[in-house]
Amino acid sequence: MPHTTTVLSRHLPSLTGGALLLLGSLLSTTALAETPEAREPAEVYRQVCAHCHAPDKAVGPEITITFPEAAWEARGNYIRNTVRHGRAAMPAFRAAKISDAELEGLIQALVSGELDDAPAQGGEE
Amino acid sequence: MSTTPRILPKGVSEADFDAALARFREILGADGVLTESDQLAPYTKIMMAGDDADYIPSAALLPTTTEQVQGIVRTCNEYKVPIWTISTGKNLGYGSAAPGETGQVMLDMHRMNRILDVDPDVCTALLEPGVTYQQLYDHIQEKGYKLWLDPPAPSAIAGPVGNTLDRGVGYTPYGEHFMFQCGMEVVLANGEVVRTGMGGIENSSSWQVFKWGYGPYIDGLFTQSNYGIVTKMGLWLMPEPPAYRPFIIQYQDPEDIEEIVDVLRPLRIAQIIPNAVVIVHTLWDAGTHVVRKDYYDGSDSIPREAIERIKADEGIGEWNVYAALYGTPEQIEVNWKIVEQAFGASGKAKIMYGEEAEQRGGGFEYRSALMKGDMNLQEFGLYNWRGGGGSMWFAPVSQAKGSETKDQTELAQQILGKYGFDYVAEYIVGWRDMHHVIDLLYNRQDPEETQRAHDCFAELIDEFAKRGYGLYRTNTEFMEQVAGTFGEPLREVHKTLKNALDPNGILSPGKSGIRQ
Repeated sequence: MPHTTTVLSRHLPSLTGGALLLLGSLLSTTALAETPEAREPAEVYRQVCAHCHAPDKAVGPEITITFPEAAWEARGNYIRNTVRHGRAAMPAFRAAKISDAELEGLIQALVSGELDDAPAQGGEE
Repeated sequence: MSTTPRILPKGVSEADFDAALARFREILGADGVLTESDQLAPYTKIMMAGDDADYIPSAALLPTTTEQVQGIVRTCNEYKVPIWTISTGKNLGYGSAAPGETGQVMLDMHRMNRILDVDPDVCTALLEPGVTYQQLYDHIQEKGYKLWLDPPAPSAIAGPVGNTLDRGVGYTPYGEHFMFQCGMEVVLANGEVVRTGMGGIENSSSWQVFKWGYGPYIDGLFTQSNYGIVTKMGLWLMPEPPAYRPFIIQYQDPEDIEEIVDVLRPLRIAQIIPNAVVIVHTLWDAGTHVVRKDYYDGSDSIPREAIERIKADEGIGEWNVYAALYGTPEQIEVNWKIVEQAFGASGKAKIMYGEEAEQRGGGFEYRSALMKGDMNLQEFGLYNWRGGGGSMWFAPVSQAKGSETKDQTELAQQILGKYGFDYVAEYIVGWRDMHHVIDLLYNRQDPEETQRAHDCFAELIDEFAKRGYGLYRTNTEFMEQVAGTFGEPLREVHKTLKNALDPNGILSPGKSGIRQ
């Protein structure tokens, strides 16, 4: 069966259960994972942009190409406007999704070419 | 100073609105209340064929806690301010992050994005509405849990709570999302908080494992509705199987849809094929990576001759069935033989998996990712098919019977053809039902084409209803019309519940056609 993906079972769920979580106490304390206040540009790109804009996806145009420094402001304005307003099929992204601080960091990283080799799918198998 | 007239909630005076905004700022802080036009711009982008002027919010509120949501609804009751609730706001083609009507205040739950629990033993999660599939996926990867998600096509940027509440679907064996929901925390319109199922028992350990609780089961009341604001939701996660085999079956003739469905149905009901299978038409399969104008530049419906050229060039069938087997390698071998035998009987099917399927092109790679719950937005390539950013999902339900599929396909192609649009469609096969999902793609930059798309969608709703086919979900522009197709007695019940639970009508007025 050469074409069936076989998965190692090292983390298959245990049937014995283990300690049951008391939700009442859990909910009154802390969450397991919270989104940090401001994500790094590469993380925003990976989580949101790369799914469509990475070269191997080709759903949207490539956006990581370095721009000449003289065009950074104009290009930045274009990106900011596109992210916040959307453009044709591109959805608009609200500050609740990509904060102003994250967007400014992302713009700087994009125009300067910092993300030129950003992976399309970090964390995948 | 702007001279643009201020957008106000319907029936609310400027003074009352200002008083409400001041109260909202006390509750949320200044940065949790958005009123400037540049802040509200992302809440106005729509893809459906509605008038932009009908979907402009007056403000947006960004709570981070259930207590803040309670404070918001109490304030809304006092000043009769209507709010429209969104979570991740990526219900693209269904209304996105825009309000149901101009003037409503957006209640944007995206900042409530805590993953409260993932239990790898009983395979459950408890989430806030702002959590995205990508966020949950990353968390599970980081923890090393062998659990799979079931994202819809917008996967990474959408979220499990919002999608489940809109009764969305995915592509794994957990594809019917509401079936795998378990327990909610809901803020009611009066500001009270209720936990459904076992959640009412203090310190209950079974909130996320036993759906029904005691007495009437009410979770469904908070889906596709405006009876409360869900602030926490439990869901079941699929344990990663030891083995997985995605495959594709191609058929070449338009009439073959009948055979496909009738062969598939018993395999699906018996869970030989356990996942939400898709039967994808040529134009959908090609549309994720091919541009229409490369084959046809006319403004009318793409002709048969061009469809045949696409099939030949891309190696795509008229109908392309994507499905998968899950389990141990031994189970998969047994079930594979059954699948081969069933689909091989007529000699029409081409069955492929592994390298043969990967080399065949089309959507196999991204479909394989979605059927195992990976993050993938390749399907958005459909938006490049015609271009212009217009998209509406027309999604009538049918029985999983070939005769109904043939009837629906012919009716859809006839109406779409009349208005000059393409049949870009797939069937998503549930246990006994199918969602016939048609992406009505149009150029939203062209007002004439947008009006034509609007008229086409309206006719599709009416003509399908005349033959007994109703929609499982629709966009905000057509909620009233679709509600009408389900009959007055049901609408009266919806209205009675609305008046009982939300007497001031502050929660998402118009959602699913429900108002006071």
